Amino acid sequence: MLDFLDISKPFDRLDNPVTLEIERAIIRWVHAEARLLDAERYQEWLDGFIDPEIHYWMPDMETRRRDDPRGTFKYGESAYFDDNWRELEIRVKRYNEPSAWADNPATRHVHLISNIEVNATDDPALFAVCSAFTNVRNRNEADQDIIHGRREDVLRAVDGGYRLLRRRVLIVQNVLLSKNLNTFF
Amino acid sequence: MCDGGCKGGARGRPNMAPVYPKAASYPEYAQLVNRENAQVDRRLFVDEAIYQAELQQIFARSWLFLAHESQIPSPGDFIRTSMGEDDVIVVRQRDGSVKAFLNSCPHRGNRVCMVDAGTKARGFICNYHGWSFGIDGGLRGTDGKVYEKDQAFEKAQIGLTPVAQIDSYKGLIFGTFDPAAPSLLDFFGPFTFYLDIMLDNDEGGTEFIGGAIKSEIDCNWKFPAENFVGDILHAFWTHQSGAQAILGAGVDLGKRYDELAFQASVYGHGIETNLDKVGNTRTLGYPELVDYVYDLSEKASARLGDLRARAIGAISSCTVFPNFSFLPGQNTFRVWHPRGPGKIELVVWTLVNKNAPEHIKEAYRKGVMMTFSPGGVFEMDDGENWEYSTRVNQGFVTRQQPLHYALGLESTDLERELPGHIHKGSMNDANQRLFYTRWAEFMEHDNWTDLQNGDTAPPQKSVKAAE
Ligand code: FES
Ligand SMILES: [Fe+2]
Repeated sequence: MLDFLDISKPFDRLDNPVTLEIERAIIRWVHAEARLLDAERYQEWLDGFIDPEIHYWMPDMETRRRDDPRGTFKYGESAYFDDNWRELEIRVKRYNEPSAWADNPATRHVHLISNIEVNATDDPALFAVCSAFTNVRNRNEADQDIIHGRREDVLRAVDGGYRLLRRRVLIVQNVLLSKNLNTFF
Repeated sequence: MCDGGCKGGARGRPNMAPVYPKAASYPEYAQLVNRENAQVDRRLFVDEAIYQAELQQIFARSWLFLAHESQIPSPGDFIRTSMGEDDVIVVRQRDGSVKAFLNSCPHRGNRVCMVDAGTKARGFICNYHGWSFGIDGGLRGTDGKVYEKDQAFEKAQIGLTPVAQIDSYKGLIFGTFDPAAPSLLDFFGPFTFYLDIMLDNDEGGTEFIGGAIKSEIDCNWKFPAENFVGDILHAFWTHQSGAQAILGAGVDLGKRYDELAFQASVYGHGIETNLDKVGNTRTLGYPELVDYVYDLSEKASARLGDLRARAIGAISSCTVFPNFSFLPGQNTFRVWHPRGPGKIELVVWTLVNKNAPEHIKEAYRKGVMMTFSPGGVFEMDDGENWEYSTRVNQGFVTRQQPLHYALGLESTDLERELPGHIHKGSMNDANQRLFYTRWAEFMEHDNWTDLQNGDTAPPQKSVKAAE
């Protein structure tokens, strides 16, 4: 396996610029994805943005000493998401049920994405894309949840567009300061 | 006036012996649980004075879950957790025993351990002035040996305050701040019969896999605790969407429900189950887990008997009073730590049999994440219910209104030879009534003799059944 596809590892090289044209196309893709998630168009997101071989991982963050070999997070341990396509689809199916009460009445979402860096990889069809995000949810009158973090994505070029093949989501919270995660990152 | 010999105001040396709080008696709070009419007063969920009484009466006395043995296998391995709102370090000792201490330096009170967990620690050093403590909690030294050079300084009696009693039951470590508390086994009573469904269904014993997930919910701690003690009723409505997503159908308690399902309660600990073998396990969404539990259930009937073997993966839930809960079959274990009357910190772990094959452990890890973690398709819809059940009681008039706990008033089961108070059917408020009865006993009684001989104590016939 190519190193940058190994979800347990951060990208090792981020000094491979792409053409301006590809960079513009991928930044458009990133913003379009965020807009779709804001609108809770989860099925379209799954069908149009997610690669069938997706690995979508969001570990929980432990507080550990700097010299602790285990580190803040570790692949194979507990996580909020560690999903393939079928598992993401289960989550989307729940959203599509009218009795998904945590989403009915609807939650209002904003996915703010910034710090986008697009890099080429050893495979001409794959791109390593880093970004930072602010994920805002607000529901009912005054229930608000804000989560900040970083994403490390691998996008695959297919049919003139892009699909998300791998995503690492690293948030800054230790205790999740929310009752749930009725959102994607 | 100081004549120069007043030692800066001190007349003697500090007495640094641990202080374990005394319980009191709050009959006026106990009466808020109306046993005659199966009602509970809403002040239990919002009142600050009642909450402080809970910390004193319940959390400073009960045996509370601390850790699984597997989380701290070697000397110096430790995790940080809470008992009520008290921050606690749980450490494996050199002789293999486990100790736990308040995570607070006796000097100025700073936390001495800032991390969630660690391995092979030699001790804990306070970041403030550098006092250092051994893994046995004793003060080992001070930065620059300033104190050691002070003639009047007595180091020997200074240390981290130990949790008064520690014991473990089949892999689960518990502690209590009350030196007078009865043994852990007496605190459970014959409820161990039901704990063994998850803790002793396989000869290799159990372990926790993959760390802990922590989250905050703005609810009173008793709502989730009573939910797990016996509220399968909510699953149909609350979790319809999750069941649809995973199973493609709503929650189904099985054909033989009327004949098999029951609730059992001892000292406020409670379990409800419908004995359908794999109903909970199926909802994790991995067919290999269902096969595994069918096989396990068959093997385990020699160990546990047929009834308990049927409960390993069945639609069921359990709370150990006051705030430790788990779901058989779904293997999620959790503590609802109180953080004020209107907030909890939820910590969840995944329990597996040590002897289970690796791919089964991995399926449990992912299955629990997919269902009973903050992003899980079931847990997702629980939090808001508990938050608003709590928050609405800020309304002055709202909180004068009683709450209804009267499902199954005529459902006592006197025939089944099972330990504890048995009620027919799992859709029943019986365990929740007994949970709040136990709560009232803790409010009322300042001594364990009364606490262990009240209405929640196991009926005599059932004690025999467990033997
Ligand atoms: S508070 Fe810990 S050394 Fe002073
Ligand atoms: Fe629930």
